[in-house]
Amino acid sequence: MSETILRVENLVTHYGETKVLDGVSFDVEKGEIFVIIGGSGCGKSTLLKHMCGLLRPTSGSIYYGDRDITVMDEEELVTIQRAIGIALQSSGLFNSMTIGDNVAMPLREYGNVDPALIDAVVRMKLSLVGMATAQHLMPSELSGGMRKRAGLARAIALDPPVVYFDEPSAGLDPIMAAGLDDLILDLRRMLGTTFIIVTHELDSIRKIADRMLMLDRGKTVFLGTVDDVETQGSDRVRQFFDRRADEYITQRNI
Amino acid sequence: MTEARVTAPPRLGQEEGRQLITEVKARAGKGGDVVIDLGNTQEMDSLGGACLVDTALIVKRRNGAFRIENARGPVAEFIEMIEPALHPPPPRPKPEDSTFVEIGGKALRYVGEVGEFLALCFDAFYWTIIAPFEGRGFRWGIFVDEVLEMGVRAVRIVFLMNFLLGLIIAMLSAAQARGFGITIYVADLVMIGFARELAAIMTAVVVSARTGAAIAAEIATMKVQEEIDAMRGMGLSTSQFLVAPKVLALSVSLPCLMTIGLVAGILGGCVWGVFVLGFPPSVWLDETLGAAHLSDLMQGYLKTLFFAIAIALIGCHNGFRVTGGSRGVGLMTTRAVVMDIFVMICIDIVFAAIFYYVLGR
Ligand SMILES: Nc1ncnc2c1ncn2[C@@H]1O[C@H](COP(=O)(O)OP(=O)(O)OP(=O)(O)O)[C@@H](O)[C@H]1O
Ligand SMILES: [Mg+2]
Repeated sequence: MSETILRVENLVTHYGETKVLDGVSFDVEKGEIFVIIGGSGCGKSTLLKHMCGLLRPTSGSIYYGDRDITVMDEEELVTIQRAIGIALQSSGLFNSMTIGDNVAMPLREYGNVDPALIDAVVRMKLSLVGMATAQHLMPSELSGGMRKRAGLARAIALDPPVVYFDEPSAGLDPIMAAGLDDLILDLRRMLGTTFIIVTHELDSIRKIADRMLMLDRGKTVFLGTVDDVETQGSDRVRQFFDRRADEYITQRNI
Repeated sequence: MTEARVTAPPRLGQEEGRQLITEVKARAGKGGDVVIDLGNTQEMDSLGGACLVDTALIVKRRNGAFRIENARGPVAEFIEMIEPALHPPPPRPKPEDSTFVEIGGKALRYVGEVGEFLALCFDAFYWTIIAPFEGRGFRWGIFVDEVLEMGVRAVRIVFLMNFLLGLIIAMLSAAQARGFGITIYVADLVMIGFARELAAIMTAVVVSARTGAAIAAEIATMKVQEEIDAMRGMGLSTSQFLVAPKVLALSVSLPCLMTIGLVAGILGGCVWGVFVLGFPPSVWLDETLGAAHLSDLMQGYLKTLFFAIAIALIGCHNGFRVTGGSRGVGLMTTRAVVMDIFVMICIDIVFAAIFYYVLGR
């Protein structure tokens, strides 16, 4: 468990004139559950989008294996993206299809899956996220949390070696969220999946995170295990874990 | 009852799973219980799991019992995770059964839709015309923005379309009129045609494709993203904020655009008359102005006003009716434009009939 699967070096990105990430570096090992935390609006989702090649950075590189995805052309990028399961912050389900078809989509399009098995895979993945009965519903007929879970089921449809979850437990009840943590741990144990997860759930971080990265205003303020927080964490990260409010929330001005 | 016992291989993936299915089918093809022994299995992936799910389905369809035994370690946990999928799937929802029910349902939906549309018309009427005088604010800021977007931004395209149409009409009719030596009357024809029909229709078509579609798409997207609900939840009236400013803005913009279209169309005819047919500009313009009648213009403007109200209301109506997500937005936008064009032709026919039979022109 020491093979590096993903390495981000000095990532700097802008949206127009605003700098969002400012020299972020870290690496993720195979089979690791890597958690990204940080205040709302600090650039976590942006970081994930760069890591799967949806956005191109201003400078810096992102190595997937030994290849830099920031300089790849579209075709190469697609092969990498197929190995990554992504569940974005707003589920990203296709509205024109049923939930079952949504999950089946990656299986049909690029899995080398026996067509006769697809239905079974779909049902299995949906029941993993507790949605077995929703197979024939349309996304617009679901609640927010259900949509989120269906998005997760689609992300893991092909047993991708790397999975990105953007706030998977936002909008889920505590029982479901705990179930999700178990699911993540189980999948890691069974399939050796690497997870990169953005989350704000402190309990969940304590339970599943191998290591974590904390961003603040685009810079890394902490990189290490949860236990390290106590011993070597800066004020900022301890504040996060103690849930202490800023003096004035407006001071952050993000 | 027989019970078939099948032992799974050490690694259960797609290939092995398919063999497993074949074996189960061979051993318990005509029914009977099946036990899958996972005692040897140390590794499995999702596709292997899917094969188990499939096997369970096959066995249960034949009224057998399905059991998994001896799963150990991670495999056992995995089986536990996929347990819910081992039960038969929920039935696919069935479409309506009888044609009568279907026809009845359709009829009810149409009646419901007409009711909704009338309610929207009433609301729009209230918030545009009555509410401002009761001191319940009309949103002038939004109105100005809308006029800018619907009217000012459309000037160029409206001008161009009408100019070209004028040119074409002059070109085609001059070719016919030449045989009788009455080419100068092409000026009259262009004037009357544009005043009564063409400027109004052409402008309204352009605007319905531009603005009608935009209104429907905007409101539908707002509905899908729960913006409409949020607005209502704050106790704000969607008619006041969305519908009324749009209706009034379009009622003001469209007649202005139609005027521009009229001028452009006449100009188009004039260009052909002067540069190709060789009439001096003053002669052509005199003929044109001589053909202008107030009642023709009235007809054009009156129609345009109705077109404007129809385009705005139809756009809003279809926007509010959206169901489903992004796909619904597309469908409703299409529907709005098709309805616009259809209703425009209907209005046109009604006006033509009234002016021809009742007023005798
Ligand atoms: N498409 C965009 N165009 C311009 N700025 C953007 C865009 N998307 C995000 N931003 C800005 O970039 C910053 C980081 O956004 P990002 O979505 O990555 O935050 P986040 O860390 O995921 O926040 P949250 O926890 O609330 O999801 C924010 O300040 C936001 O205003
Ligand atoms: Mg985010």
